[in-house]
Amino acid sequence: MTNLTINGRSLASDSPPDTPLLWVLREELRMTGTRFGCGLGVCGACTVHINGQAVRSCQVKLEQVGTGAITTIEGLHPSNAHPVQKAWIEIQVPQCGYCQSGQIMQAASLLAQNPSPSDKQIQEAMNGNLCRCATYPRIAGAVKRAAQMMKEKKNA
Amino acid sequence: MPDELLPNAGRRSFLVRSTTMAGAGFLSIALPPALGGSDAEAAISATPAYTPSIWFTITPDGVTTMHIVKAEMGQHIGTAFAQIIAEELEVPWEKVRLDMPLESNENFGIYGLAYTVNSGSVTTEFDRLSRAGALGRMVLVEAGAKLLGAKLANCHASAGRVIDKASKRSVGYGDILQKVKLEKSFSYPNDFKAVKLKARSEYKIIGKSVPALDIPAKTNGSAKYAMDVFLPNMAYGALAIPRTRHMSKVLSVDDSAAKSIPGYLKSVVIADHMNKCMGWVVALAETYPAALAASKALIIETDPGPYGNLSLADIKAEFAELLDKPEEAANWVLEGDVEGSMTGADKTLDVEYSSDMICHAFMEPINCTVMQAADGSWHVHVGTQSTSFARMTLTAYLSMVTGRKQEELSVFVHQYLVGGGFGGKQDYDDVLAAAYCAHELGRPVKFIQSRESQFAISHPRTPTLHRLKAGIEDGKLTAMSHDMVSGWMGPRFAVGKKFNNGTDWLQLDSWDDKKQDIDQWSVGGSDHWYHVPNHRVRAWNSDRTTWAIQASALRTVSNSYNMFVVESFMDEAAHAAGRDPLEFRLSMLNGKGGNRGIPNTGYAPGTPSDYYLDQIWISLPWPTDKSWPEYESGTVGGALRLANCLRVAAGKAGWGSKKLPKGTGMGLAVSSAEERQSPTWVAGVAEVTVDTTTGVYKINKLTIAMDMGIAINPENVKAQIMGSALWGAGQVLSERLDFENGLLTQSNFHEYKPVRQVDVPEFDIELIQSGRHPMGVGEPASTIVAPAVANAIFAACGARVRHMPITPEAVLEALKAAKA
Repeated sequence: MTNLTINGRSLASDSPPDTPLLWVLREELRMTGTRFGCGLGVCGACTVHINGQAVRSCQVKLEQVGTGAITTIEGLHPSNAHPVQKAWIEIQVPQCGYCQSGQIMQAASLLAQNPSPSDKQIQEAMNGNLCRCATYPRIAGAVKRAAQMMKEKKNA
Repeated sequence: MPDELLPNAGRRSFLVRSTTMAGAGFLSIALPPALGGSDAEAAISATPAYTPSIWFTITPDGVTTMHIVKAEMGQHIGTAFAQIIAEELEVPWEKVRLDMPLESNENFGIYGLAYTVNSGSVTTEFDRLSRAGALGRMVLVEAGAKLLGAKLANCHASAGRVIDKASKRSVGYGDILQKVKLEKSFSYPNDFKAVKLKARSEYKIIGKSVPALDIPAKTNGSAKYAMDVFLPNMAYGALAIPRTRHMSKVLSVDDSAAKSIPGYLKSVVIADHMNKCMGWVVALAETYPAALAASKALIIETDPGPYGNLSLADIKAEFAELLDKPEEAANWVLEGDVEGSMTGADKTLDVEYSSDMICHAFMEPINCTVMQAADGSWHVHVGTQSTSFARMTLTAYLSMVTGRKQEELSVFVHQYLVGGGFGGKQDYDDVLAAAYCAHELGRPVKFIQSRESQFAISHPRTPTLHRLKAGIEDGKLTAMSHDMVSGWMGPRFAVGKKFNNGTDWLQLDSWDDKKQDIDQWSVGGSDHWYHVPNHRVRAWNSDRTTWAIQASALRTVSNSYNMFVVESFMDEAAHAAGRDPLEFRLSMLNGKGGNRGIPNTGYAPGTPSDYYLDQIWISLPWPTDKSWPEYESGTVGGALRLANCLRVAAGKAGWGSKKLPKGTGMGLAVSSAEERQSPTWVAGVAEVTVDTTTGVYKINKLTIAMDMGIAINPENVKAQIMGSALWGAGQVLSERLDFENGLLTQSNFHEYKPVRQVDVPEFDIELIQSGRHPMGVGEPASTIVAPAVANAIFAACGARVRHMPITPEAVLEALKAAKA
């Protein structure tokens, strides 16, 4: 049994230690907001945070998590109150929506580390996240909008 | 089991009484009391919900729930339909909700065919949904007037209330439902025909960019895709990648290595009735990682079948041979005398175009969960473009598997959000495989394609080869000949498929007697809207290709390659004629003859537009006479609307006026995808910079103008245009699939490359709201990018590349050829 801290809660997994975190989250713990896209770390749909850092959960084995604090899309804010979620809704980013949990987690991690990224930095940070509906222009716009919201909140 | 997973066919069927099943075409308001039945029905019947048509229900809390039978796969169709209904019904937008009806044999009789395809949802449903909303409002206003003791003539509805002008008193829809028993029924289609609709100038919700109702669940992880379902005692299935894409046969399976994987249950060779899932072996286990590991540990002996040695090079060779056999061609367009006018031309152009295979590569790999319930009924949980075809296909398959008659089988399909469709979620092989596994295991099975197996069993767009000739006289294009060969997807879809009433749902004949038996899904787009007096399009079918690669529909279907070919060729013809590509195009987009469009026929029978629309697209069995309300055809205005889009796009982009640095050029393209009968008019300008030393090119800017008639939700229309344009960018920049020894060879996104964030150009999008009948917007813009880019590359450096995708190597080669 492996103990995990997910979204501030202590949870335990019975999966074998080499199981990709993605499948533990989705199919064992039934936190299905994290999506399976490629299983190879090349699409970004399964992005979660470990200690605030965006990682591809399909590439992280259960045994590698250790005491790391995991945040999934469900933990970012369940009622969409995180600035990135707010910006995503305001700019109406999602189309089919399947990749968006990963996009949002990637963006949230970027902004936590760099509160005012340039266009180029946004492009680079988000380039590993595929969106087949190609909502890219609105993703980039929403990252900027979220950065602005975070600044406003800080200054308020 | 959670409530949402229980069949609710019974509930819906008594809320809505529809005799369309019996063919009489009649809808009535079915109101609850004393209908008897089970406790559950009694509980529901205590709620005076109002369902005046199958498309929505109003409950006493004032909430209106729209029942959406179209797949929600990124286009926000539920929101668009809700806007259309809410507009005429006059319900407050904040009290609008969506649900997706269960697909069952019974509900099929009520809702008709649930199928989302051809960018046709808004186009085909706009009129009917408007009328349904208006009828609902009529009944509520009547009831409200009575309740208020007011004269009907003084009453109107607004934002969920009936208002008496004279007394200034009002009553809410919810209150009306609690106090009045509504029993009025309407005959269909006659009452639908008679109802008075709003003038378009009165629209308050249509044309407003209300936020999409499906978005908030997509930003906090709560959105439900089929993969998110959990059923009691469920096992998992993973596919061992078959030896070939199609027609291989499993001889033996050795699972001794798989047996050492904890949780492994068994492996199942999927019964390949209906020629689907051929050569498929699914490993079953208690968890998905175990199933996936087991699928890789199986040692499978296979007879590779007839396509085991077939590769893309063989297909290309066959294409070239076929084009030399005119006796095997079928005519698609035949205007004037092409051969004769070529002979008389001052100048001719003779070129060859081709395109590679690409695939849908949706972010959500295909997955399906199937359970046989204790009562013997089958429950399918899937995100699909057609729950109806999923149900029909599975019913036929299960009949073969179990030896029971189809009518003894009860199959329910639960629809989920679809994580990208693009034409690729309408083959149901996953449904059959999951059901077969559930049958063999005696437990519910969640079947998930890994990305690798997803690529291996994808349903690609066919490769194509085209030969085109132009005859130019006095600077005019007087003759155009377009010969094309590809795998025809139509026959693969049509074979053995019939509607419940026994009629074929796709016929390979056509509405125009000049045309011959042909698959219109493979040639569409070549029948462009330019006035060319002598015009011929011939097509060849490489049947072997169709089956070997399992060719299918992919976003705009044949337009996706034909517009690249036609619009690149028009550019070549303009240059050959010594004319500006804009002026050359405009001179031929004159709306003359067949290019004027067909006025006011809608999708009525007996017109070209009903070719298959009334058989496939619509979600109700239409009456076979001409008694339903006619509505405006999307073709009204014809080529003149396309010319208008082109002028707007060219003007906005600065065609002919903007100073461009050396190595940068602009290219034009127009398109009227999806079908000749259902055009959305769109034009675009690409601005591209080419590095002539490496051949690498960059799309700097895309300017797009689209006339879709009415934009139901303008901001969403813009999002759809941007997304589809970037789809088009992917197919010219980087997407291609290979086929080697019977197998599609790309395995994951490191080898198959859709566009990413860094590829995004600047956008300038203009919506031309002409006020005409609303047309689909999710696909057409994807067709103009490849040709506009090809033409821009030519303008930038003189390299004419006639193959898609356009690689840097091809640009360099074309440069060399241009200099030679």
